[in-house]
Amino acid sequence: MAGVWPAGAGERQAPDPLPLGHLRIVAPAAPGGGWDQTARAIQQVLLAEGLARIVQVENIAGAGGTIGLARFIRSVRRDEPALLVTGLVMASAIVANEAPVSLSQVTPIARLTGDYEVIVVPAGSPFRRMWDLVEALRAEPGAVSWAGGSAGGTDQILVALLAREVGVPPGRANYIAFSGGGAALAALLGGQVSAGVGGWSEFAPQLAAGSLRALAVSAPERVPGLDVPTLREEGYDLTLANWRGLVGPAGATAELRGQLGAVVARARASARWRELLARYGWIDLYLPSEEFGRFLQQERLSIEAVILSLRSGSDVGPLARTGARVFPVLIGAGLAVIGVALFLDGRRRHRSAAPRSETLDALRSGNWPAVAYLSLGAALDLVLLGPAGFVVASTVLFWCAARAFGSPRWLRDLAVGFALSLAAYVTFTRGLALSLPAGILAGLL
Amino acid sequence: MDTLRALGDGFAIALSTVHLLWALAGVTLGTAVGVLPGIGPALTVALLLPFTLALEPTSALIMFAGIYYGGMYGGSTTAILLNTPGESASIVTALEGHLMAKQGRAAPALATAAIGSFVAGTLATLGLTFFAPLLVSVALAFGPTEYFALVMLAFMAASALLGRSVLRGLASLFFGLALGLVGIDPLTGEARLALGIPQLLDGVDVVLFVIGLFAVGETFYAAWRHAPGEETIAAVSRGRWMTRDDWRRSWKPWLRGAVIGFPLGALPMGGAEIPTFLSYLTERRLSRRPEEFGHGAIEGVAGPEAANNAAAAGVLVPLLALGLPTSATAAVMLAGFQQYGLRPGPLLFETQPELLWSLIASLYVGNAMLLVLNLPLLGIWVRVLRTPKPLLYGGILVLATLGTYSLTGSLVDLAVLYVVGAIGCVMRVYDFPLAPAVLGLLLGPLAEQQFRRAVAISQGDLSVFVTRPISAALLAAATALLIGPAVWRKLAGQGTRPRYQRLS
Repeated sequence: MAGVWPAGAGERQAPDPLPLGHLRIVAPAAPGGGWDQTARAIQQVLLAEGLARIVQVENIAGAGGTIGLARFIRSVRRDEPALLVTGLVMASAIVANEAPVSLSQVTPIARLTGDYEVIVVPAGSPFRRMWDLVEALRAEPGAVSWAGGSAGGTDQILVALLAREVGVPPGRANYIAFSGGGAALAALLGGQVSAGVGGWSEFAPQLAAGSLRALAVSAPERVPGLDVPTLREEGYDLTLANWRGLVGPAGATAELRGQLGAVVARARASARWRELLARYGWIDLYLPSEEFGRFLQQERLSIEAVILSLRSGSDVGPLARTGARVFPVLIGAGLAVIGVALFLDGRRRHRSAAPRSETLDALRSGNWPAVAYLSLGAALDLVLLGPAGFVVASTVLFWCAARAFGSPRWLRDLAVGFALSLAAYVTFTRGLALSLPAGILAGLL
Repeated sequence: MDTLRALGDGFAIALSTVHLLWALAGVTLGTAVGVLPGIGPALTVALLLPFTLALEPTSALIMFAGIYYGGMYGGSTTAILLNTPGESASIVTALEGHLMAKQGRAAPALATAAIGSFVAGTLATLGLTFFAPLLVSVALAFGPTEYFALVMLAFMAASALLGRSVLRGLASLFFGLALGLVGIDPLTGEARLALGIPQLLDGVDVVLFVIGLFAVGETFYAAWRHAPGEETIAAVSRGRWMTRDDWRRSWKPWLRGAVIGFPLGALPMGGAEIPTFLSYLTERRLSRRPEEFGHGAIEGVAGPEAANNAAAAGVLVPLLALGLPTSATAAVMLAGFQQYGLRPGPLLFETQPELLWSLIASLYVGNAMLLVLNLPLLGIWVRVLRTPKPLLYGGILVLATLGTYSLTGSLVDLAVLYVVGAIGCVMRVYDFPLAPAVLGLLLGPLAEQQFRRAVAISQGDLSVFVTRPISAALLAAATALLIGPAVWRKLAGQGTRPRYQRLS
């Protein structure tokens, strides 16, 4: 992962692109996260700079972004103006989850921004320099606990790279994965762990206040405004950036690839974009289409090597004692015991010839037609949602539910269901900028 | 006192007509979006954030505070009226609240929730104003070891939720625990019980589970039990307002809820669910009429709802003082602050005191605004219950699917929603309580992760759980709650078992 280009390298004069008519941007995460922020920031700049007339952001969350990637590959035509936000986290999730899709299937458009990683210790820590920490790691890997983000993510990758660099098997580093933004930081501030790894912008306020000390940053050169040596300066030949970028449709036409690349290049060169970078604390790591493509290939190889080294060593790691399988076994045993107890309890009641249980009566007296109508509504909803759109599917669902509860006024139910679905659709897509399928009413809505 | 003067300056800004209007707009929008099932406070804030962008920072932050409190409060309304909690922190509210609504006591239930939210929210904001630094130092003493012990204590709430049959309650709890295992193990990145379906790698979403089990499950169960002639779901409304007795039974739970919710919300691994469960447990244990729990006890609404809102304010303590986002909502808030070029953290009080204090002042204003907005609306909300069943349940289903699908755009999630709904219906038919399953899904993964983190940090030494004082105290309390009642009965010489009631 030594392939972090200096910002702006390889840039060339972009010709004035034609404005795009309609552009879809897929953020492969829920609203509010980093990828979503990137998508909406690009959307904002493209619209404000007149580079596109309509820009729609769509959130497809899940599994480190690989679900969004799979859907993007499947659903976008090769000549359709569409972008997917991607990043190091997705690249490593593809490897770690053994996803059936990969970033080589889509068309690289541009690497945009990123954040360097810092290695920090609590203010009161005995580790003064990177060297002290590395010596402790070499002496007894388990005794140095590292707090960072989710397993297999950027933070763990850096710890693994560092361990390998100093001759410790990466799987033996005592990496404690915390989920959620603040948890790792809290463990650091409370002195619960030896060291921490994370994005520079995550720790910036604490570093400024002196409650944490940064030992090294993973940038290739000193970061302006950050008085911290790089890992290279400290003698460890490592750089790592938590980058984010944009990719286009699988097998995109040369024309589309050029157009998307030019539009993004223009957006990135604008003053508005620079303002957004400053506001979010992002570092400009722009790479145009071809360089970004080569970068992605290198990145995949190094990530595969790291994840493999983590896997192969994990048996001897400190987590082995209470690995991922202990709790499932305990809970499974509990379920088995309860199952047997329920069975015995049922038999005992049956034998004792107690008055027939209410639940058996309920089973006979249940309103089966009503349940059937509801189930029909649910099934139709699942089938119709994609092809016919949200409004139609929900109207049908509403009507079935009303019918289940014995409503004789089917015309009223249809009207109310349609009005409710339409209102919900308009509020969500127009008011809240969430996407719902328009389906057969696409032309009207 | 400096704090008072700074707060006074903050109020001077927050109380201007323009800012009051923005606060009102924020509270209204927050409540309106927060009411939708599946759209919890985190999402409400994320979705409404763009609306504040056009404003100058002070107005924007004031509107933002309104959205936050509005979103936190909105979830309880549908929980009480329709047994459809909008987010996991309102589940406990639904337990007793919906039973009250069915008896025609929706208005007092909503009122005690609104007033309790106001009282606890205000107390917690006072705590935020004056005790933030102190609380922060205590909160940071909580590592994985202590947090595991706290989760064990929260598990004791299960004992209050088990229902008529301990065996069925445990079955429900373990069902939730097993579901909690699905997905990528956060500590090793290994996939568990995901059946090779990529959408299951992220596990079963608690909110999705709650909407499925409660909203969809309730709809299916209502259809199952539906007999022609029953036009609406609730009894005719008895009284529009809280009686003297309701007040008498509510005020202590409000205060206790605030005391439980605020500090727990401020913990680094906070969140509002654990306080609501602990508050419910407390109220049930302290009540003079425990037999009413499971039949619509007002204490069971007042306490958890107060705890919920106090925790919401507690979450702001580490956020503002340390820049630590301790919940999904706080993470979104942090992103929101960044949009105005603010970096919450240790230096915020020095660099941007004016903005910060007007934000804190607007928290008081937003809270009061919420009460002013919602008390007159009670009458309208209660009328929702008079909607004919066909339209009401049709509407619930459409809103539930809307909330689920619009977030991820995933048909798999929608299918999971219906499957969970069907399971919820079967559980109701066979008299399995629902709340323990949610508790298991929510707390199981927390317990596992914190336990394993603690053991990894101590390099396999299990004694940390009893040698670290906070952890030892919490575990002792949990043990006392578990075996205490049995010992107490033995000492008192009574062989009578408490009567457990079906809860949901």
